[in-house]
Amino acid sequence: MNRLPSWLIVWCAGVYAFLHIPILVLVLFSFNDSKFSVAWEGFTLKWYARLWERQDIVDGLVASLWVATTSTLIATVLGTLLALALARGAFPGRRWLEMLLYVPVVTPEIVVGISLLVLFVAMGLPLGLTTVVIAHVAFNLTYVVVVVLARLAGMDRSLEEAAMVLGADEVTTFWRITVPQLFPGILSGAMLAFTMSFDDYVITSFVTGPGSGTLPVVVYTMVRKNIEPSINAISTLVLVGTVILVTLADRWGRNRPLAGP
Amino acid sequence: MKKRDEAMALWADFTDGRVDRRAFVLQALGLGVSASTLGAVLQACGGGASAPEGSVAGPASAVEPPIAGELRIYNWSDYIAEDTVPAFEKETGVKVIYDMYESNEELLAKLQIGGGGYDLVVPTGYIVEVLAAQSLLAPLNKAWLKNFGNVAASFQNPAFDTGNKFSIPWQWGTTGIAWRTDKLAAAPDSWAVFHDAQFKGKMTQMDDSRDVIGSWLKFRGKSLNSTSAEELAAAKADAMAAKALLKAYLSAPVKGQLVSGDVWIAQLWNGDTMQAKAEQPAIGYAVPKEGAGIWLDSLVIPRDAPNARAAHAFMDFILRPDVGAALSTFTGYGTPNQAAMAVMTDAVPYPTAEELGRLEYQKDLGAATALWDQIWTEIKAG
Amino acid sequence: MNRSPRRAVLAWFAARPGWRAFGLAGPAVVWLLAFFLIPLGLMLGTSVMPRGVYGGVEWGFTFEHYGRFADRMYLSILWRTAQDAGITTLICLLMGYPVAYVIARSGPWKNFLLFLVVLPFWTSFLVRTFAMIFLLRDTGLINAMLLRFGLIAEPIQMLYTPWAVLVGLVYGFLPFMVLPIYASLEKMDWTLLEAAEVLGARPAARFLRITLPLSLPGVAAGCCLVFIPSLGSFLTSDLLGGAKQILIGNLVQNQFTSARNWPFGSAASFVLMAVVLVGVMVWQRIRDADERAI
Repeated sequence: MNRLPSWLIVWCAGVYAFLHIPILVLVLFSFNDSKFSVAWEGFTLKWYARLWERQDIVDGLVASLWVATTSTLIATVLGTLLALALARGAFPGRRWLEMLLYVPVVTPEIVVGISLLVLFVAMGLPLGLTTVVIAHVAFNLTYVVVVVLARLAGMDRSLEEAAMVLGADEVTTFWRITVPQLFPGILSGAMLAFTMSFDDYVITSFVTGPGSGTLPVVVYTMVRKNIEPSINAISTLVLVGTVILVTLADRWGRNRPLAGP
Repeated sequence: MKKRDEAMALWADFTDGRVDRRAFVLQALGLGVSASTLGAVLQACGGGASAPEGSVAGPASAVEPPIAGELRIYNWSDYIAEDTVPAFEKETGVKVIYDMYESNEELLAKLQIGGGGYDLVVPTGYIVEVLAAQSLLAPLNKAWLKNFGNVAASFQNPAFDTGNKFSIPWQWGTTGIAWRTDKLAAAPDSWAVFHDAQFKGKMTQMDDSRDVIGSWLKFRGKSLNSTSAEELAAAKADAMAAKALLKAYLSAPVKGQLVSGDVWIAQLWNGDTMQAKAEQPAIGYAVPKEGAGIWLDSLVIPRDAPNARAAHAFMDFILRPDVGAALSTFTGYGTPNQAAMAVMTDAVPYPTAEELGRLEYQKDLGAATALWDQIWTEIKAG
Repeated sequence: MNRSPRRAVLAWFAARPGWRAFGLAGPAVVWLLAFFLIPLGLMLGTSVMPRGVYGGVEWGFTFEHYGRFADRMYLSILWRTAQDAGITTLICLLMGYPVAYVIARSGPWKNFLLFLVVLPFWTSFLVRTFAMIFLLRDTGLINAMLLRFGLIAEPIQMLYTPWAVLVGLVYGFLPFMVLPIYASLEKMDWTLLEAAEVLGARPAARFLRITLPLSLPGVAAGCCLVFIPSLGSFLTSDLLGGAKQILIGNLVQNQFTSARNWPFGSAASFVLMAVVLVGVMVWQRIRDADERAI
């Protein structure tokens, strides 16, 4: 493989800088001794210490992690299957189904939130984290399907056919050949789904119930007064935690012979 | 299930063929949604006239329910002293679930659909009016509110809830002008400051149609609840002239920019101005001579509150002098509690009679809401 | 392990492709129907009913809410929204494609680089936006640096301009462009490029004739995932644009909150959806025609 041109590397470094400079600022302010994050007033750890008092922030983080993980799992499984059906099967209504997929992407969030709330209340479902997960899957699914479909488009099926010819049944072929080939698409879709679920406020605020606010709900309610830097502190902890987790998972993954695409 | 029963009662008023078909479709899908509930939910959001009067918490009940169980409070963020809830829990044994919301309108939408499940919420006055008009509130049982007499006379019996049938006051404040005392020679004593080109790019108004249009109505000496098309057209012209000079429409987050000096003049609430002043002493607050808005946030109990008894107990707790004083000390806003006022060291003084003449409460605009929204969209799009 | 029941089930499905597709698509379709289309149907009903004075609806039937879109003001709001979304999509493509390309070609590092693209979004939108405000405002970091180095004499107003809104939108939607393009580039057979090089094709030609066509499904998916949701965005224009402009997302938001006009808010959403779905349909036609041509 030939080397990448240097202008391309510089361009990408620029894009990564664009994405991460605001995050750097956010992290810096978690150590800033000022309530309004206006200027650098000196180093402090008090916003981290304050997390012990702000049980609501910690509860919100736990709720967010739970909701994002569960809804991503469900959406990824259902979405991948739907993408396979769309790419592989010719069945009646396929074109309509494909169009139906774009509806959740285009519906303004507040409409999703209010209409789901009406539905849940009418069904008599108690509002809480379960209703939040249901709602999140409904809007995440599409993103998974669209990304996995992009991967499936024009994918080489000869490997699958070879496996079948060699006597593997469909399920074996699916797990050993199709899934590994699809994996980058599934991973990308799942990452998008998790990210959106973890950061959603508008829909969540409508379909959540007493005592089950996610982290974005907690943060948004602070706007009227002031977003206190403890939020920066917990965001920093999440970032550090994820980087450590992902690095470990990557190490572990690489040591396994069959993992990955 | 009480909600179902009410929905059925509501549904009896409306027999409409279309809904039956919808019911059929829904049941065919095995969702178990009954048409009456669905219809009722949508409709209950709209017309209030036919909704039955709340039956919760009526003094008629022969047996006094105990103060126990869970109490679900839905309040603005940072709007309660830090030890209030723990102290209440300790004294009563009630477990408090405390959630927060961000805007009156989101609260309203949620309560209208029936998705609350809360025992106590804290809307601003004109929202109380809307909720009451739609029978979404439980009437208060004054026998359970022994401390009600602590409320100052000027905050009892508000126009949005005559006789305090549904609400007790929480905190009050005004919507005036915050300004940087080191950048301006004198206090901006008129809304006309937003037409002063020398401060172009250094001024903000709040991102709220009621506050912006209201300020320009006041500027011309009109009521900030005006529904006259002519007066509103004049306000629109004034607002658009100001928009050309404004840096942004920015509500509470403007505090940071006042502190940093990006913004010199901002339409803002008095309590928020005081919070910014705590970080940057060179900030002042002025109530324009033409007049401004005054508001009163109030505690109310939603009609379908699961624990109205504990909600009353919490209301009564808040009305105590020491608890009310701690509350206002924390928020920086005014206390409507006369007895609390007496024990506070640095309270926001009650408006004088002369000031009260200039200050005006927002009332719900009713059908004129559409006209106001049209004008607000025109201001934004223009 | 007795495999015969499994084989029997598979054989049954293999003989019935329709049922097989249903088995795959079924769960997701049911979910979307129950928790998306039915609620949306309720809103469609709402959009043809008269508004309730206090919010919600009253019983009746009317098209007046759709009729309001004949007003030039609302059309211009729609147009401006589409423009913003279009520019956002273009910038995201220009910024995101090279990133996806480099990630796809960075071997053992690719999962980590991909992860770095989404990492910023595991913080809260508001905190991120406030950090951006800190960078962009008159007394902010960028202006302070430019002043320090003598590049400008007066702070430039960056915050609360249409440009700031674009910066915010691009920031928020960039991963939606990078991930699908990456997913389609990653499966590319790079030996094709080497073959082309051996045969004397220049880098630009190699990219235009091989890489780009093979990644088009990803580009299309990415553009959809950026363009469509950015049509409905409202918070970015409020927070970074200073709420001085109104996009269709703000209009809808206002209708459900301060204006308490649910039917008009619903109608505005359906107008938006109709525009997008027509676009998707046209795109499907073009794509299918292309496929037939091949």
